[in-house]
Amino acid sequence: MTDDTDDADGGDTCRHLEYRTEAGERAFETARAYCTVVDAFVQPMRADVCNARYGLDPERDCEWYE
Amino acid sequence: MSATGYESYLAGDPVVVTAALTGGVHGKEANPAIPESPAEIAEQAAACEAAGASVLHLHARRPNGERSFDTARFQAVNDAVREATDDVILQNSTGGTGAPLEVRRNSLRTDPAPEMASLDMGPLNRYDRLTSENTRHTIDELAREMDERGIVPELEVFNNGHLNETFRLVEAGLVSEAPYVNLIFGGGTLTPPDPRNLLNLVDQLPEGSPWNVLGFGPHQLPLTTMAVLLGGHVRVGLEDNVYYRSGEPAESNAQLVERTVRVAEELGRPVATTAEAREILGLS
Repeated sequence: MTDDTDDADGGDTCRHLEYRTEAGERAFETARAYCTVVDAFVQPMRADVCNARYGLDPERDCEWYE
Repeated sequence: MSATGYESYLAGDPVVVTAALTGGVHGKEANPAIPESPAEIAEQAAACEAAGASVLHLHARRPNGERSFDTARFQAVNDAVREATDDVILQNSTGGTGAPLEVRRNSLRTDPAPEMASLDMGPLNRYDRLTSENTRHTIDELAREMDERGIVPELEVFNNGHLNETFRLVEAGLVSEAPYVNLIFGGGTLTPPDPRNLLNLVDQLPEGSPWNVLGFGPHQLPLTTMAVLLGGHVRVGLEDNVYYRSGEPAESNAQLVERTVRVAEELGRPVATTAEAREILGLS
């Protein structure tokens, strides 16, 4: 379908980022961004920070980064 | 007679219902009913059309639910929605916190172009370290491209300062003299959700501008109801509110549309057909 060329500027992903299909009582068909700092699935918008898309940087732009 | 006041309510003018189906901020982690794939979005689009929505506000996502600004993904959403619906107005989003202008243009470049697109009117803070910048340069560039492609903008007024920017765009000739304005209420640097603030904003609109109300979360129902009484139009959906009532997640976008339609009709305003919506919103 597409290779999402709009995120071609992505850099290093966050070291706290994992992709999981389940955690606790939550389960999804497709693996989703999961933050190991707050132990929660990440909002789709925040996943752009996790993946360092569009010049975003986890250390600078994430309020949970440790 | 005023087209944007109580007289409009008394006249029983039709109310345009917009359904904001998915958004790009939260997803199934917030409410499993939020549609993310083109097929899911199309299915809920059809249900919302059947319930009375004539405008569908659309975002695109990757298979894992994350935001996408890729034209091909917007194309897939647009195609699926058109296939599943009879006659609705597609309104692609150009919003994108943290995303550059270059990718935010992509939703305007589907074939055919959407009839409408959203146009954020200025900065918005909702997070500690992320902001929606929306510089004047970005706004003007998006407005120009919409104009070139025959796309009617919906001006997203996050707070009353953005009405200054609305008049700036009108005076610059980048939008029509009576543009369609969406008044947005919520947290951060959005307009504080309060009926008095809605009354004040309506008084400050460009003369003749049709207008819409978007209230986040618990403010969706009361402020859209107030819009019905003041001759405005309404936007509901899971992008803006994932609950039907406090503590009870909404089952679907259509559930929220159905409630809004019931409210409008009980109050004496019929829900606009798509043809009426096109006339109200200045679409060809």
